[in-house]
Amino acid sequence: MMRFLPLLLPLFFLAACLPQGPPTDPLAALRSEKGTVIWENEYEFAPPPPPWQLLSLDETDYSIAFFRGCRDEDPGFYPCESTFAYAEEPFGYSRDLKQRQEEFFRRFLWAARVDFEEPRLEAIRLRGDNALQAETVGRERVLGHKVLVRALFAHRGERVVAFYFTQWRPEDRSFDHGQLENFQAFVDSFTYLRPSFYQQLRERNPKR
Amino acid sequence: MEGHQRNLYLYDRFNARVAGVSRDGIETLRHWADQLGLTFPLLANPTGYLGILFGAQHEGFPIFARRTVVIDKWGTVRYSREGSPDYREILLLLEKLHEEETKR
Repeated sequence: MMRFLPLLLPLFFLAACLPQGPPTDPLAALRSEKGTVIWENEYEFAPPPPPWQLLSLDETDYSIAFFRGCRDEDPGFYPCESTFAYAEEPFGYSRDLKQRQEEFFRRFLWAARVDFEEPRLEAIRLRGDNALQAETVGRERVLGHKVLVRALFAHRGERVVAFYFTQWRPEDRSFDHGQLENFQAFVDSFTYLRPSFYQQLRERNPKR
Repeated sequence: MEGHQRNLYLYDRFNARVAGVSRDGIETLRHWADQLGLTFPLLANPTGYLGILFGAQHEGFPIFARRTVVIDKWGTVRYSREGSPDYREILLLLEKLHEEETKR
């Protein structure tokens, strides 16, 4: 066996030197000719530009999320990361937007032990319908972290859905509000291609 | 549990009711229901016989594993599944059971 070792080792190192190639686009197979992404034949949206990347979620979550860290910018502080998402089943249960917002913030980032300031609420229009925007800052006082949150609550049929954005920073650093533009562009581009599971259920059972 | 609370209006349409079962005591469940805003019944079953009956308590474990059981109005178990509830699957079954019920 030992006489094969000199041959095997060089092969091993050469393999490590192979060119890596460009990073693969996990959304490539889902892109339409317009550059938008068709997701599960139900949603269409314009994905954010790099370094935003798709975040893998639980398959049963019926959500879409993107993440960006700060490695490329090398900011020298922690935490420095942002996420935004579309949630088909956001925390809470009320079908009233204002009430749902209250329920949402009771559960949202609960495991991160965040104390939220009273959210600033603004009635907005989303794809022609009434919606509610809530913006707040949460503080994790033990670690000295803070998080900027913008959440939009809207109706899809009888149900409430949500888009939300989070950005984590150390307590003594300022937020980068420019990233909200990427979030807003995602929200503005987001459309439904077919009725939701719940809308179809309603259509099949109109008298109940 | 929050998902069931979210779907109560749909369960109502299909003439279905939901109840949670736990080995925790009444005071613990009352606090939990308050925190989550649950309005459907939670049954305290410290002796665990309901969990044993429906297969939610595994041998050697002192607590229930998550399990969803659907029982039709004639008392027959029509669905039993361990793990997090699949709410869409449950709703489709309730829709089917309600159709059966209205035909009988």
